[in-house]
Amino acid sequence: MIIEERGSTHVYKQIRMLSKEELERLESRCVHEQPAFCVAACPLKLDAKALAQAVSQGNFDEARKLYEKIAPFPHILAAGCDAPCEAKCRLTERGDAVDLRALEQAAMAYGQRGRARGVLRMKKRKTAAVFGSGLYSLFLAGELNKKAYPVTVFCREDDADAFIAAGAGFAPPEALAADAALLKETDIAFRFSTDLSRELIEEQRERFDVLCLSPELYASLYPEGSADAALQYDRENRLVSGSPRGVTETAFCAKKAALTVDRLAQNLDPGNSRGAEGPVETRLYTDVSGAEALARVPHQGLYTPGEAVREAGRCLQCRCDECIKGCAYLQHYQKFPRVLTREIYNNVSIIMGDHMMNKPINACSLCGQCSVTCPNGYDMGEICHLARQNMVSTDKMPLAPHEFALMDMLFSNNEAFLCRPQPGFETCQYVFFPGCQAAAIAPETVKAAYLDLCRRLDGGVGLLLGCCGAICDWAGRYELYDQTKEFIRRELARLGDPTVIVGCPSCKKELAGYGELKLVGIWDVLLRLGLPEGARGLERPAALHDSCGARGDPGTQEAVRSIAKALGVRLEDTPYSGDRSPCCGYGGLTAYANREVAGEMTAKCLERSDAPYISYCMACRDRFARQGRESRHILELVYGTDAGDPPDISQKRYNRLTLKKELLWELWHEETREMKLDFELRFTEEALRLMDERMILKDDVIAVLEEQRRTGQAVFDADSGLTAACRRVGNVTFWVKYTPLDNGGYLVRSAYSHRMQVVRRQG
Amino acid sequence: MADKNYYTVDPQGKLRCLKCGVPLEKGKAKFLYLDNGFPVELPVCPVCGFVYVPEELALGKVLAVEKALEDK
Repeated sequence: MIIEERGSTHVYKQIRMLSKEELERLESRCVHEQPAFCVAACPLKLDAKALAQAVSQGNFDEARKLYEKIAPFPHILAAGCDAPCEAKCRLTERGDAVDLRALEQAAMAYGQRGRARGVLRMKKRKTAAVFGSGLYSLFLAGELNKKAYPVTVFCREDDADAFIAAGAGFAPPEALAADAALLKETDIAFRFSTDLSRELIEEQRERFDVLCLSPELYASLYPEGSADAALQYDRENRLVSGSPRGVTETAFCAKKAALTVDRLAQNLDPGNSRGAEGPVETRLYTDVSGAEALARVPHQGLYTPGEAVREAGRCLQCRCDECIKGCAYLQHYQKFPRVLTREIYNNVSIIMGDHMMNKPINACSLCGQCSVTCPNGYDMGEICHLARQNMVSTDKMPLAPHEFALMDMLFSNNEAFLCRPQPGFETCQYVFFPGCQAAAIAPETVKAAYLDLCRRLDGGVGLLLGCCGAICDWAGRYELYDQTKEFIRRELARLGDPTVIVGCPSCKKELAGYGELKLVGIWDVLLRLGLPEGARGLERPAALHDSCGARGDPGTQEAVRSIAKALGVRLEDTPYSGDRSPCCGYGGLTAYANREVAGEMTAKCLERSDAPYISYCMACRDRFARQGRESRHILELVYGTDAGDPPDISQKRYNRLTLKKELLWELWHEETREMKLDFELRFTEEALRLMDERMILKDDVIAVLEEQRRTGQAVFDADSGLTAACRRVGNVTFWVKYTPLDNGGYLVRSAYSHRMQVVRRQG
Repeated sequence: MADKNYYTVDPQGKLRCLKCGVPLEKGKAKFLYLDNGFPVELPVCPVCGFVYVPEELALGKVLAVEKALEDK
């Protein structure tokens, strides 16, 4: 048995994984980068979330910098801001919105003005005039000055202080004074004490490129005019003006008007290419259930710095990371699905060069947890699975990450495979399908379950020991998967297409994908039949780990809980249970392709509780036990068996063979030929540890030593005193280091392997 | 043309071919993987041509190159 290695790194085949439209549709489901609700609501585009964060850290300078960015006269704006952001604050669902307006005022009061006031900019050649006073004129003159237009203000007032006071009577004197100082720093020119008339304005058309009017002046001098609110422009009279209400809207309209001036000065249509203006819709999702500080920090007048820090600390810093919170894989790569998807898409699209995302593609457990935790159902597993199939189809998928698992599957469906009707039957009403990992990890439990089903069910219960095809499906090897499906179907047909009693939720999910099979979980059968005698739960309270194979299958999740209850197990509540359950690290072949990430997945599962874990997938049971946690499969409790310490990779194969041999002998009275070694073979503890870590089977070691006996080929190392022999098996060269025993046998001290072939070179 | 070698391991007389009963010598060999070849010098038996890949090499440099090529 061998699986073909990819032929070459020089492969130029390319198949599109997704169309551009499909990719964009998928990506749009991820709302991680959507703006926070307060940010989206602000027409002036203040990053209120960042401002609140800066204040919460006591960094008033940074907060002030953020605020100064949006307004030329920030003290006046802060004094009069209508704070539309507060109405959108998510905290309003549970309590008081963050007092963002008060935080803005605190930022302006306690923050130092940024020293760098921008680089020296050349003034533009085109000029603008602003007629009339008021907030609109003040803000507009400020905006135009920021855009480096030479601005001249014509007003009735006698000086700058009076001009400012006319616009912002609502602001406290200190705010007026501060912004008056800012105004004096600008090079805005003034024509004070001017008698403003229509004639004067029309006269100035020759001197200025663009004319702007305060709303009041516009209404009184051009009563026939109707300025477009979106553009703040009267095309007929060629005048920039509007009719805003409220301080925030006035500031926003001044911004719009300044942009219109900008467009007009360049002889461009003011209606085109304006970009996104004003408040926007956001699709962000934020979980507010954990919010604790729900009431506003009270204040009279300005917050003290301490009060402001406390109030800003209530901000939830809205962001959506629902998928990342529950998933060790996403936490490992520190990327949210939209970015990860794009990088994976690019990875499978490149023809030459390093495929940096191969590892992340093969590290996902394909468990689908994100499809449940994401408010929009983003399924990273679906994307990684698609990418794997794509890589297989273009011959770009390396075999190394999955070869061991695929060979193990072939072993399950060849040497260890067994499919028989119940003794005394030709066809059966049922067939028990325990799953390859159950036979590998808990053969006694599989045997007890099968005998129990035979005893208590009518119509005959066949037995099928093999793999459902999940392994090659997860590896993206779709051709092998189709072959496996056909093979299992044929075997089931031989038994008369019985109802399949599955022992593993992942097998159930996989077999459901075959279509037209009758499937039932052993947990459902046991609930119907009642528990056998001797079934007993654990003394201590336990945590139930839901298998990722049972995601979206509430029937199975409930049935297992009912069995646990009937067994008298006291189940603890754990976060991330049911459909939100994380994968143990076995799913998607993560345990083979990326041990580091698989380890983090197991740790993530175990951090939910200190109690013993009960699972209903044998792979979960195995991985938890390997981490030293008391871990039991629900069927071990039902049948009073204990699979004990987790077996190593060789033992897992041996267990499958032994189970098959025992059952063949005890039930069908067939004897299996036993392969006996004709030499003694011993292993040091260290060798066994290394072999498990390096995924080298005892069978691989035997293959090497048999070759050594046949050819006599070996190398003696005088430094270590060990002998080394090797053999190429399939795509891998295995080396064994040993000490010969006096009786011609071997004491194996180490084993290692490499996939490269080594040949002698001439010349 | 000068001979290019990516890696050299000199047995320094410490390794012995048990089949031929002679010490291994530094000899020319080649690693092949996924249609790529790398000339190297490894301990080779001068009689039967057996090439020895030491554990440190297999788990170090060889593994690193394998992984790099797999992601090409």
